[in-house]
Amino acid sequence: MGKFVLRRLGVMLLTAIALTFVVFYLTNLPPNLEKLARTEGSVRMSEEAVQDWIEQNGHSGSVFGRYGQWLGVVPGWTYTDEKGDTRGRCFAIGQDAAAAPTYCGLLQGDWGYSTFFKKPVADSLGEKLAATGWLMLAVMLVMVPTSLFLGVLSGMREGSATDRTLSTFSIASTATPEYVSGVVLVALFATAATGISPLLAEYGLIEPKKTLFLASATSAMEDITFWNFALPVMTIALYGIGYIARMTRASMTEVMTQQYIRTARLKGVPFRTVVMKHALRNALIAPFTVIMLQFPWLLNGVVIVESLFNYKGFGWTLVQAASNNDIPLLLACSCVAVVVVLLTQLISDIGYVFLNPRIRLA
Amino acid sequence: MKDMTHEGGLHSAAHMYASEYAEGKLSRREFLTRTTALGVSAAAAYGLIGLPAPAQAQEAKTGGMIRVAMEVKGTKDPRLADWPQIANIYRGWLEYLIQYNNDGSFEGRLLESWEANADATQYTLKIRPGVTWNNGEPFTADDVVRNFGRWTDGNVEGNAMASRFPGLVDEATKTMREGAVVKVDDTTVQLNLTASDIAVVPNLADYPAAVVHSTFKDGEDPSTNPIGTGPYVPQEVAVGQKAVLVRAPNHTWWGGTAPLDEIHYIDFGTDPAAMVALFSSDEVDRNYESVGEFIDILDGMGLVKEELVTASTIVVRTNSTSDLYKDKAVRSAIQLAVDPKVVLELGYNNLGKTGENHHMFPIHPEYPTLPPQVINPAGLVPALEAAGLKDTEFEVISLDDGWEAATTAAVQAQLKDAGMNIKHTVMPGSTFWNDWQKYPFSSTTWNHRPLAVQNMSLAYTSTGSWNETGMANPEFDALMAQALALADADARRELAAKMGTILQEEGYIINPFSRSLFSHHKEGFLGLEMHPAFEHHHYKWSIA
Repeated sequence: MGKFVLRRLGVMLLTAIALTFVVFYLTNLPPNLEKLARTEGSVRMSEEAVQDWIEQNGHSGSVFGRYGQWLGVVPGWTYTDEKGDTRGRCFAIGQDAAAAPTYCGLLQGDWGYSTFFKKPVADSLGEKLAATGWLMLAVMLVMVPTSLFLGVLSGMREGSATDRTLSTFSIASTATPEYVSGVVLVALFATAATGISPLLAEYGLIEPKKTLFLASATSAMEDITFWNFALPVMTIALYGIGYIARMTRASMTEVMTQQYIRTARLKGVPFRTVVMKHALRNALIAPFTVIMLQFPWLLNGVVIVESLFNYKGFGWTLVQAASNNDIPLLLACSCVAVVVVLLTQLISDIGYVFLNPRIRLA
Repeated sequence: MKDMTHEGGLHSAAHMYASEYAEGKLSRREFLTRTTALGVSAAAAYGLIGLPAPAQAQEAKTGGMIRVAMEVKGTKDPRLADWPQIANIYRGWLEYLIQYNNDGSFEGRLLESWEANADATQYTLKIRPGVTWNNGEPFTADDVVRNFGRWTDGNVEGNAMASRFPGLVDEATKTMREGAVVKVDDTTVQLNLTASDIAVVPNLADYPAAVVHSTFKDGEDPSTNPIGTGPYVPQEVAVGQKAVLVRAPNHTWWGGTAPLDEIHYIDFGTDPAAMVALFSSDEVDRNYESVGEFIDILDGMGLVKEELVTASTIVVRTNSTSDLYKDKAVRSAIQLAVDPKVVLELGYNNLGKTGENHHMFPIHPEYPTLPPQVINPAGLVPALEAAGLKDTEFEVISLDDGWEAATTAAVQAQLKDAGMNIKHTVMPGSTFWNDWQKYPFSSTTWNHRPLAVQNMSLAYTSTGSWNETGMANPEFDALMAQALALADADARRELAAKMGTILQEEGYIINPFSRSLFSHHKEGFLGLEMHPAFEHHHYKWSIA
């Protein structure tokens, strides 16, 4: 098992290197560098000034060399201007160039400086990941129990009215993308002019507020409340609930047709005990993988939802990094994505062993 | 610009405005704007129209905080700043030599006063005594000279100030010319320009011209080491999220006490629909700008609307290089066939103020009051017949989007009603701007500039680089040359009146309205007026 984990970690490293190089190459295409120069310098810069800026701020030379600087295997760039002031990768404006280290990249534990946030990538991304962590936690807390409950309920008696109703609901919710359900939820619950908020306000049920929920989750960055957090969480969770519920239902119906369930029923064990004691554990193996696979999917779900609700987490950061061509930030985001995807798969593989003794990792 | 109050009494125009107010030609707000722009105190202005000055004009209450919804962009070296939002944050601790106020006047901040010589080639700047940096050092003439050095440095990529002071720069080195900015004594600095330049004052008030301390490193983020002269310091600047300004500790601000304790800028994105939700859920106290149909929606929510009539405008102009419009009588008839009121309503939803076909507006310091033109649609057909153009098909060209197209369509409709055979052609921006100066008849948008002569010299002199009318009037050119050497707005006003009359008579332009800027805020705040360049003057803000 140790060997298996090590091999997986090796794959993770290779994937991260390959992915970050691709991202690095794309963000370093000349038009992207020009855009960066214009946002960082000034939008009014002339063509020549843009080229000068690119050269003087360490974005010229071979793309491999610059990637090497990011990794920390090539010395960081420096530039001395006509006034004799030196700036460079490894030190801030005004710091002593001589005292700065020669290498400052990933190997030295330096993730670089975010040009958009104007602070070290590690600091800003850490904060944002924490914010997304809370969002994901809330989503998982809502999504997993609800979907398992719905799935088991509808899979217990295949073809019953409950099954049909719940299946329709799951299919509908999973067929609605976040950018649709988010807007619909906002219109229904979070505007003072449409949906149910004006009605509730009229009856004085939601005083002193004017809407049932808040359509912006910006304030949740500081203080999470049911009021400001419910809609983003529901938007992400709704999609996942339908999907996981369908998976659970499929797995549950399959288990319910197994011989040992029929045997137990014939022996007179109550239906309740059969479901809880005999069927459930076996039925949960497949949903477990699906739930673990939801993590990487959540990462891209949050991109839409965080932008829609203006919640400043990882997804929002990714959008800002991409639209401002913030190279170090985008690279760090890619690394996070790789780690999240491969780590959850690793956990799901290991978790399998515990749920199903027949499977062994080698 | 010298002190504008006249000895022994009020400016003569103030009395004129007071009678216009009495006749109902001016609104109270407009009356106040105009008279106080003349240097009349607010209390005296209220007195002129027989009203007591409101108590709020006296002392503002100290304390409290405000939450402003605004994009929080990263602060950068002020001379590189390319968005007013960037400046609105560093405005907390960095101040300006001169400030542009929303009534169109210029006010000395770090300067106590300034004076230009007769042809605007030499400026004497008097530094305000008693100003200190928030680290305790006094603000001196050396600071001013050093900042001019920063502004005039053309070797810095993207320096927004570099092209503003051509008269101070050495062409060869692209830096400040030897002897251009001279420290006369500790409180006096003299600017020696190579040519007349009356834009020095507005340029010093523009948002990249913030004055920084001697320890500021070129290219540095000013919030990392916030030494400034202003009343606040940044507690936090989190790009894309929020910025918090708090009172500078242990700092005696020269202006006294700024009323608010804290100013929070929160970045909620730019979706105006979200702003409605944020106001209704009491997440913000003030927005950055209200646009389009959201103005009505926010009005309906019981918020206070701030309106500011700017000089951003649209000009529907003919071009005399075309055979159709070389006859002055035809141009005038076309101009007078269009009623600005109708165009404002149809083209811009009444969100502005009607213009007077001379590209000057009340917010301009040299704005002259000319006799109103007589709109006369019936005069168009005879003029066209006289020129033999009765059956010609005319064409007016505009951009294809939004209010530009709607405004031009409103002009076309009125000309059509008056009997002209005219069609409206729209073009996408990608093709429109290629030839915008050459179309025979088309509409062009013009941005707000603080001085009326800035726009007029660009657009209507025979040598103007943005001349789109083909106008070449020697008298106008001569007047403009004089006006551009007169730094005093009152002196310039007489010339502006003559130039305005020439522009109206030449008939090239239909200048139907200037656009207003709007913002909204909750009740209970004072001093949150809109500014033509979106500047936030924090020290004017207070809780009612």
